[in-house]
Amino acid sequence: MKHPARWIALAVAVVALAFVAVLATQVSDDPQREDNESVLLNHPAPEFSVRTLDGTTITQADLAGKEVIVNFWNSWCIPCHEELPALKEFYDAHATDPDFVMLGIVRADSQDAIRAYVDAEGVDWVVAFDPGANATLGFATRGQPETFAINSDGTIVGFKAGPSSRNELETMLAAARVPS
Amino acid sequence: MKAFVGVFALALGTVSSVFGVIVLGLGLKKRDERMLELGRRFVFGVLAAAVLAFLAMEWALLSHDFSLEYVYENNARATPLLYTIAGLWANLEGSIILWALVLAGYLAFAARRFRDRSTDPLVAWATLVGLAVALFFFALMLGPANPFKTLSPTPSDGLGPNPLLQNHPLMAIHPPMLYLGYVGFTLPFSFAIAALATGRFGEGWLADIRRATLIAWGFLTVGIILGGWWSYEVLGWGGYWAWDPVENASLLPWLTGTAFIHSVIVQERRGMLRVWNLSLVIATFSLTILGTFLTRSGVLDSVHSFTESPIGPWLLSFLAVVAAVGIGLIAWRGDRLRAPGRIDSPVSRESAFLGNNLIFAALAFVVLLGTVYPLLAEALQGRQLSVGEPYFNRMTTPLGLVLLFLMAVAPALPWRAASGEVLQRRLLVPAWIGGLTMVVALLLGTNGITDSVTFGLAAFALAGIARQMVVGARAQGRANGVAWPAATLRAIRSNPRLYGGLIVHTGIVLIAIALVASSSYSTRREVRLTRDNTVNVSGYSLTYLGSRITDTKQKVTVHARIRVERDGDALGVLTPAISSFPGRTSGIGTPAVKTGIVRDLYLTLVSSPTERERVTVGVQVNSMIVWLWIGGGVVALGTLVALMPSLRRRSQRDPLGADDAEPRVLEGASA
Amino acid sequence: MNRLAWAALALLVVVAVVVAATQAGDSSPRARANALAEEIQCPECDGVSVAQSLAPTSRAIVRDLRRRVAAGESDDDIRAAYVERYGESIRLNPEGDGLGLLVWGLPVTLVLAGAGALVFASRRWRREPLMHATGADEELVERARRDDA
Repeated sequence: MKHPARWIALAVAVVALAFVAVLATQVSDDPQREDNESVLLNHPAPEFSVRTLDGTTITQADLAGKEVIVNFWNSWCIPCHEELPALKEFYDAHATDPDFVMLGIVRADSQDAIRAYVDAEGVDWVVAFDPGANATLGFATRGQPETFAINSDGTIVGFKAGPSSRNELETMLAAARVPS
Repeated sequence: MKAFVGVFALALGTVSSVFGVIVLGLGLKKRDERMLELGRRFVFGVLAAAVLAFLAMEWALLSHDFSLEYVYENNARATPLLYTIAGLWANLEGSIILWALVLAGYLAFAARRFRDRSTDPLVAWATLVGLAVALFFFALMLGPANPFKTLSPTPSDGLGPNPLLQNHPLMAIHPPMLYLGYVGFTLPFSFAIAALATGRFGEGWLADIRRATLIAWGFLTVGIILGGWWSYEVLGWGGYWAWDPVENASLLPWLTGTAFIHSVIVQERRGMLRVWNLSLVIATFSLTILGTFLTRSGVLDSVHSFTESPIGPWLLSFLAVVAAVGIGLIAWRGDRLRAPGRIDSPVSRESAFLGNNLIFAALAFVVLLGTVYPLLAEALQGRQLSVGEPYFNRMTTPLGLVLLFLMAVAPALPWRAASGEVLQRRLLVPAWIGGLTMVVALLLGTNGITDSVTFGLAAFALAGIARQMVVGARAQGRANGVAWPAATLRAIRSNPRLYGGLIVHTGIVLIAIALVASSSYSTRREVRLTRDNTVNVSGYSLTYLGSRITDTKQKVTVHARIRVERDGDALGVLTPAISSFPGRTSGIGTPAVKTGIVRDLYLTLVSSPTERERVTVGVQVNSMIVWLWIGGGVVALGTLVALMPSLRRRSQRDPLGADDAEPRVLEGASA
Repeated sequence: MNRLAWAALALLVVVAVVVAATQAGDSSPRARANALAEEIQCPECDGVSVAQSLAPTSRAIVRDLRRRVAAGESDDDIRAAYVERYGESIRLNPEGDGLGLLVWGLPVTLVLAGAGALVFASRRWRREPLMHATGADEELVERARRDDA
């Protein structure tokens, strides 16, 4: 008589083998690869309503027809400091373009701190607060800095989590300028 | 120089394990007793190598020798002494040295303990398996995870350990404890493989490793609890299943190991469950390797996954070999593993143990499945998803309640079959205490049915344990004419395994109560405080007194000083803090905790003070958390008691009488 | 007398459980939002639900959940909206369909099968007359004793 332990062992062996095989496929995966993936890529930009430093309200409707770079940031985030020179350089290169808009949306920070930072660092582009957090949630941000590019149709065509370089910003803007 | 000593030690360890395996293998094949005796001695070579590697690394850390890449990455001149020493287990490569040292220690302990039986094939096989495992870890260090890699030119200062790992002294104890537990399961595994290889899967090998298994289990339990404590004091409180995948990974071998500790008693007593026990031991060891793989290879996000390390494929291959050998041996020996025992009644101690094993196996399965499910989904369907607390809570709560019930009932059940009269005498009063506790809990307005049932069952279990202790102590007192404290001690000494087990159960029940209470009756708020203004939150008055900045070379810390009062009583000043470390982007919060028997006040600094002297503080009131740590201490105490030698010495000729868990004498005396 | 004591206890427990069960099931908007918050992951921190996290985004999500519940959206709509934005990984509770059947169903099936097997085995054992030790068994015992001698 054969002992059932043999059959059970065989079954367990098959399951264990399959399990190890699945794990093996995951080993080589690069855990950092999600940096430039957003579920929102190639989707319409979400509805949002933010308030600029001087108190005007900007909604996604106001940006229709423009090529937009949206940068989520705040004053206490060190990677945001790191990307500031690239942002400045990039903004200065395109500031005269009438169809270009760059919007820095503040993620979780106090008014005082932001005003002080903007004055001290000479941030020239539009900086806006997100009191209802509807932009923060609408763009499904997971941290700061995060940068999105929106084309004139209002579609999100570029995304970068973490500090962007000048080149990355240019690439995103170029994507936003491709006529659809 | 240190690198040379280190690499020499690793080579020595590798060579010793290789020679040990070869000599023992040949000795077993040729039945040559001299070779077996010789082979055993290589264990001590491995131990010497591991100690040498450990010392070389500690020497390098203490002398801040940044010519070693590991020291450069995990130490800085400003690192305090404690964290310099603990730097050895602050990162992957170093922690494998610790692993190898603990493993070598256990192997040497076994080699010494069984020195009179070195020619016994069972012991020789076990030693061979242990050395093969050691070989793997030494090879790992010589190959992809070399801790003694050098840097040229030598940097003038190091990067320092991960800030999270240099924030609390528990960091110095938690990992070694966990390793003593994790690695300790290698011994039971070696003996299980040896039992299968020699065909001697009677009860002998179980008796041989009973003590080692308990020691490993105790360390693992304490290690897990300390990990929780560390995370509570350092990381901020995120609920139980959110601690980290590595917490789940260390829970897995704990669950199967706990199942084994129980089912072993059934085999000792009734000769049943042979295949099951062998499987549990092999599964436990495999799960320690799997857990290490999951958390150290970076396939799961974890505080513990140290950058990208190339050891993933190595660990996975080792896991595959371990599983293949284990399963293969069981299949090969399957026909000879028929157990002679049987169960006489569904209401008996052995059926309760079977139920216990079913539940523990199910718990392990749920935790394993929940932990790896995101990997499965990604591999099979390319979906990215998460499995978290709601899943684990829903799946484990019913299982946990059944376990509490078993803990209340099982110790009172006699072996073979229970008569109604015995059940009534042993269980009626505890059951009523449990039932009434549940009703009182409901009347007091506990949240929902699960909580009140938990409290009821916990009271049932505690009352049953108390009854058994009292009955045992009274019997000893009457028999020896001593007062109750002496009688209690005598009862414990007469049957340390029984009473140690009951004490462990007490600790587990306390932990269960704390888990439920802290999950259900805690509040979480966030308040903004202005200087010298008092705010009332969750029954406490908080006054922000101002902040202080300390700047050491190691870190810059902002401490917010907050005076706390409750019902007019001053509870002192709490100082939650945020530290920033050079070269690291995000700040690390240090919560401030006012611990109490009933509730903790837990303050975190959400944002640093602004120029207008405002801070945002997270205020949590956590119920009964301290009982988690107390419960852990009680479990450790119970494990120690269970390890004490019994006064009622069993005769040398009767190893099957090893278990005397049944309090026959005691119950008789109380009747 | 003893039977009576057990029966009374059973009655007490059953009544208590039934009473507790009928009281449970809070479906107020706040309770619904809190329940949803338990199963939405904090986007900034791994593995923690927004209910348990003090991160600013988590607080914003909790507010958003309350707003959506108040606006009359169903729980499923709200979950779907979050999955659409953040991807499936925002939920801590895996979906119970397709592969999800495995993660929810398999443990339950195995526990039931295990319990069934135990009951079956114990019945069979009870039906069979008490076995006498065979020669092989005695040999095993003898060997086990020798192992330890």
